[in-house]
Amino acid sequence: MNFKDLFFIQRDIPALDPDILFTFGPFAFASSTLLILGITLLFVFFVFVATLSFKTRPGSFQVAVESIYEGIVGLIDQITNNTNRSQKIFPVIGAMLVYLAIANLIGLIPGIESLTFNDTPLFKTPTADFNTTFGLALGAIIVINGISIMEWGPFGFAGRFVPLHKIYYGFKKGIGAGFMSIIDLLLGLLDIIGELAKIISLSLRLFGNMYAGQVLSVILLGAFAYIIPSIWLAMNLFVGILQAMVFASLVAAYYMLAINPAKNNS
Amino acid sequence: METEAAQLIGKGLATFSMFGSGIGEGYLIGKALEAMGRNPDMQGTIFTNMIIGVALAESTAIYAFVAFFII
Repeated sequence: MNFKDLFFIQRDIPALDPDILFTFGPFAFASSTLLILGITLLFVFFVFVATLSFKTRPGSFQVAVESIYEGIVGLIDQITNNTNRSQKIFPVIGAMLVYLAIANLIGLIPGIESLTFNDTPLFKTPTADFNTTFGLALGAIIVINGISIMEWGPFGFAGRFVPLHKIYYGFKKGIGAGFMSIIDLLLGLLDIIGELAKIISLSLRLFGNMYAGQVLSVILLGAFAYIIPSIWLAMNLFVGILQAMVFASLVAAYYMLAINPAKNNS
Repeated sequence: METEAAQLIGKGLATFSMFGSGIGEGYLIGKALEAMGRNPDMQGTIFTNMIIGVALAESTAIYAFVAFFII
């Protein structure tokens, strides 16, 4: 590794598919996985430090952690309009927000993406790999549907997507209302596709932003080397935090739709 | 037509989505600034919501960008 590689001037545009470091039985171990594990370990360490050092009279570290907590609850509050609900969903959304913010920004540490192992990069921004973002979005939607089942009961949940009871009550009322209820049934079936589309749009948005950031920084570093790339890298700091916020607030919005669809219909 | 030529034309067409995304973002920011001017007390809330909206509007262009590299 020479000085030029450290600041990654003139590099190839990163590939869309993950860089496989080694395979462990049927599991391929990609370079983004390594950073995901690293961030997870960092979180576990952080939780130990935080829980051991928290006191009734807060120090500066505790104030910083608590202000992050307050900020995230405030962000969720803007969407849910209910502090109890925000505190209930906070463990899911807050964890995602902090994780994504760190995962988006960790690739910006100078030189971290230039370390190689067997000619493949050892570390790679986790969110610039589609598998990571797809997994996160899938997990988020599954958790939200699970909360929806807990809130509405299994039959209420199924009734939201296949509203057969509406057909029964509709035809009881009259022929016109009956045919309207058939349209409701078709709309309910469309909601199933909508749920799948949420996964795709959540994951593609985050992946696209991070991947686009990497590609553009490679292009700019190849073309200018000084000054202009630094503006783009500073912009990447902003985009990384912003995309984490967007992901979290969209999950919060989907959560509100999942537990309270009646408000949406009326 | 050769495959490469068709590929390049496809890449060019994919960039057209940035047109709509630009219009959308401009409209959104303009409306947000209008609202801030009318009600400066709400500036903080409007600004965060505007940023989230801008990121949502931008995602259309990002999808096109992904398509651009997949083609």
